[in-house]
Amino acid sequence: MKKLYSVIAATSLALAITGCSNNQVTTPTYDNLDERKLCNVSTNGIDSVLKVAQKYNKIAKEHGVEFKRLGMTNTQYIDESIKAIKAGEKKVVLLNKKGKPTKNSVSVSYAVERACKFAVSALTQEAEGKKTWRAAVPGDQFQY
Amino acid sequence: MLLNVVKSTVLVALASCIMNANDFNVQAEKDRIALIDYTIAKFEDGDKNRDKFFPYSTDDELKNNIQKNVKYEDLRKGNYAFNKQGQYSYNEINEMPPYDELVEKGEELYEDNKALQKCFPDVTVAGDYPYFDEEKKEVVSLTGAINKCLTDAGQKAWNEKKGKMAFFQSYIASETKDAEKKVNIQINSAEAAAAYERGKEFYYTQRGYLKLSCATCHVQGAGKRVRNESLSQLAGHTTHFPVFRLKWGKDKVENGLGTLERRMAGCVKDQGQVPPKTNSKEMKELLYFMAYMSNGMNVDGPDVRK
Repeated sequence: MKKLYSVIAATSLALAITGCSNNQVTTPTYDNLDERKLCNVSTNGIDSVLKVAQKYNKIAKEHGVEFKRLGMTNTQYIDESIKAIKAGEKKVVLLNKKGKPTKNSVSVSYAVERACKFAVSALTQEAEGKKTWRAAVPGDQFQY
Repeated sequence: MLLNVVKSTVLVALASCIMNANDFNVQAEKDRIALIDYTIAKFEDGDKNRDKFFPYSTDDELKNNIQKNVKYEDLRKGNYAFNKQGQYSYNEINEMPPYDELVEKGEELYEDNKALQKCFPDVTVAGDYPYFDEEKKEVVSLTGAINKCLTDAGQKAWNEKKGKMAFFQSYIASETKDAEKKVNIQINSAEAAAAYERGKEFYYTQRGYLKLSCATCHVQGAGKRVRNESLSQLAGHTTHFPVFRLKWGKDKVENGLGTLERRMAGCVKDQGQVPPKTNSKEMKELLYFMAYMSNGMNVDGPDVRK
């Protein structure tokens, strides 16, 4: 009987330790980020939205899911927005795939909002993708 | 008696090990067969199966462009397996392939380089890459193996997308094709199976600001038209690389030939994401998965694409 108690005690202790350690390694999830709220320049202000863009784009880069549009990475959107704000410009000039300025430009608030939405979406989409990718695999969840 | 028990135990253990070794590719084999079945069913009769596979295609497209009864052995040709209108120009171009002189350059590179001759005594190996290095526990691509060979010999690594790398790979592909060898990708361990699974997840995951997966275009979308292009199918994708793309070679013929990594980086960019680096773990595992999907097909490179 004593042996049984010892086994129960040891098992409980092991489970408790495992449970605690699991709690410690919990990684943040990004499924619930709301890009519309976080990236709204009119309500949050341009500086705050830019900070959100920087914060989440850094993580997106680490995860290998940074967005890129027409040759311009989201990091470039952020950097060019910062330069334009510092220089007091109203427009952000878009870059080509070689990093050279093109003839196209967008307003600073538009560029910052886009950079923020790209940064947040990259992470929410990554989290969503982990749950949905099997739906496209023939022989798995994809039915035809 | 005891000896018999020991002998039996050893035999059972050995048999179990051998069975397990053969088991690592079970999932990959299921995936490959399911993909082939889907692709063959899709191109059996596009017009007849319109509701299932081509709901938005026009009558003209289904009657005059999508070939019926596409065979497994034709899948290695990419979209020219079913794209009737494309086949005409493809056959015309291949009467005098623009990559021929580049294959010869690849052969010269090999003949002038003792390190390459030592690393690749047999050049009919295009179908064996990428492979999983069981000691280093990582996928080795043909591009990575060539550059490692060069740098180990104190030489400068080549550009991983075009130029000498593509020329030499085209020579390897051409020799492999002439030797009538097939794609032969192995999964012999749990780690290799895990690498394959990660590559598969990358392929089927929606990404970029356009929220497209590779499969959106090349599994579910295969055969459908984007602008004036018929989207090619995943099964057979890796068999014909490096490819000479008319788009890449429009300014300079030498730039026309590109490696599989060059093409995949372009595809990920088209999805709206910064692509993984050409020699990154993600890229190599993606290629490993893709190559497995072409297992058993004849190596058919180099080839021409738009």
